[in-house]
Amino acid sequence: MKLIWNEQIKLYAKKGTWVMFALLLVIAIGGGLITKFFGTESDFKEYGDNWQTELQEENAQLTAEMQDEEFGGFMNEMIIAENSYHLENNIKPQPYDGWEYVLENSFLTSVISLFTIIVAAGIISNEFKWGTIKLLLIRPISRTKILLSKYVSVLIFALTLLIFLLLSSWLVGAVLFGLNGLNPMVVQDMMTHYVHNDVLGEIAKSYGFSIVTLVMMATFAFMISAIFRSSGMAIGLAIFLMMAGNTIVAFLSQYEWSKFILFANTNLEQYTNGMEPTIPGMSLTFSIIVLLVYFAIFMGAAWAAFTKRDVAGN
Amino acid sequence: MSKPAMQLVNLKKTIGSKPIIKGLDFEIRAGEVFGFLGPNGAGKTTTIRMMVGLIDITEGDVLIEGKSIKTNFKGAIQHVGAIVENPEMYPFLSGWKNLKQYARMVEGVTDERIKEVVSLVGLEKAIHEKAGRYSLGMRQRLGIAQALLHGPSILILDEPTNGLDPSGIREIRKYIRNLAEKENVAVIVSSHLLTEIELMCDRIGVIKNGELIAIEEVRTVENEEALKEVYIEVEPMETAKTYLDTHLPNAVGVGSKELSMSVKREEIPQILKNLMEQGISIYGVRVLQATLEDKFFDLIGENSIE
Ligand SMILES: Nc1ncnc2c1ncn2[C@@H]1O[C@H](COP(=O)(O)OP(=O)(O)OP(=O)(O)O)[C@@H](O)[C@H]1O
Ligand SMILES: [Mg+2]
Repeated sequence: MKLIWNEQIKLYAKKGTWVMFALLLVIAIGGGLITKFFGTESDFKEYGDNWQTELQEENAQLTAEMQDEEFGGFMNEMIIAENSYHLENNIKPQPYDGWEYVLENSFLTSVISLFTIIVAAGIISNEFKWGTIKLLLIRPISRTKILLSKYVSVLIFALTLLIFLLLSSWLVGAVLFGLNGLNPMVVQDMMTHYVHNDVLGEIAKSYGFSIVTLVMMATFAFMISAIFRSSGMAIGLAIFLMMAGNTIVAFLSQYEWSKFILFANTNLEQYTNGMEPTIPGMSLTFSIIVLLVYFAIFMGAAWAAFTKRDVAGN
Repeated sequence: MSKPAMQLVNLKKTIGSKPIIKGLDFEIRAGEVFGFLGPNGAGKTTTIRMMVGLIDITEGDVLIEGKSIKTNFKGAIQHVGAIVENPEMYPFLSGWKNLKQYARMVEGVTDERIKEVVSLVGLEKAIHEKAGRYSLGMRQRLGIAQALLHGPSILILDEPTNGLDPSGIREIRKYIRNLAEKENVAVIVSSHLLTEIELMCDRIGVIKNGELIAIEEVRTVENEEALKEVYIEVEPMETAKTYLDTHLPNAVGVGSKELSMSVKREEIPQILKNLMEQGISIYGVRVLQATLEDKFFDLIGENSIE
């Protein structure tokens, strides 16, 4: 639709948008370089055919080290635990590669959330700030459509950032670390245990789950922007809630109703890989319903504020 | 008389508990330039916002080409091009790209049409520069271009000459007259400067504190139809007044000897004749070339913002 095209033009005509892409690229490259030059060497170690023996020797050596030194024991313990997992399950350890780098970079989706919040917060309130809202709303197009085109534009922007992050991480990873085949298996540390999965599935999962938070927070910022017509407020509130969300939930988790808090439900990953939900008694279906209800409220409030209210004054 | 392009029907706006617009009733015809005149805070912008659906109408309605802006927003607004208050643009886009934005929002605005409009407002040279670097006058022109893109039959301009230099004002004035006369567009121009609006409007509606206090046809120099202030020195006053009360309700006595009235020039001989037939002596007749400006100040009095 032409309206969405309009929004994208406005978005990419601004320098700030390009800065976001540039920052993401810099982080992807920087992160890669740091991992390459300061990463633990055990991660990059290539094992031969006798990898079982090599691992056992390594474990023995690490245990000895731990007795000599008082410090650094924690790192050693982790490596030993991982090595043991490989031995027990007969999985040959693979050196760190580009795929794993992509997977690790899924934490950067929170940066994408941040950028998306900024864009979502501005997409309505900026029109008010520039005064262009008056010119936008006197076209033979309903306010609902204009609102929708803006919302969809935000989602498209988030998706573009996500794809950009995936591609740049993959490229950086491939150049710096190489690739262990097309879809290698990876071992992941889940704090309490290890899991062994194919990397593409894991990448899809961790990026996919992060989209939930991203969409919810973007929608939230979008709503605040529509209601208060001020981007500062929308950005501030959304980022504050995104950062403080988990703390709030932890703080209130003693109460039964805390499971209805948005942030208790945004992390759907809590239901996978055998992890415990944040608050007992929650399930995937429960969370999805809660999320949908929040989503509907956010969109409804944004819609009501945008279509019903007077556009007056500066 | 041509059919009204826009009709205001008992239009009211209340914000909070404060009545801002207190029932406007008038119409604007196709092909006329209508001046919407009023001091600061009179409610011009508020009325215009209601005309284009930016704010809700508390009571009454605005009909555009017969369609209600309330119930048939799309049908009504498609005939309208407008600038509301300042001509605001996306500062980071060029003038051209700004216009493209609006062109995409309606059917059938080609690049040729955009070029046509740009040359109309004389912005060809600067059109590919960023709008953020435009002067106020250039933005005003771009604003007018934006309002004309889709060839509206009603053009609403809120203080269009604001920030324009004299030659710019003259150009815009010429252009507005052209639109009305050649393309039969109804143009509504708001302003608080009478001198400015007088030169380009066919009719002027004066608004004060949210009420329409007068609608005047604008006289031109050669306009014999225009009203004139006439003072007549008479005796006896009483007889003259009784006669006037029944025949010329808009005349009033001034002091003990003079009558004052607004009449057309051509009516003066007849009035004098009638007065004499009543046995009233006439000692003198003064015709005041009252300008519209005097009238305007008479009408609005002090600008006390309520
Ligand atoms: N959102 C609002 N809330 C309360 N009062 C308002 C609001 N908007 C406008 N007003 C009041 O309505 C009145 C009319 O304002 P409006 O902007 O329509 O005047 P105007 O005729 O356009 O004046 P100007 O010549 O200064 O542009 C003013 O007294 C103003 O204080
Ligand atoms: Mg105004």
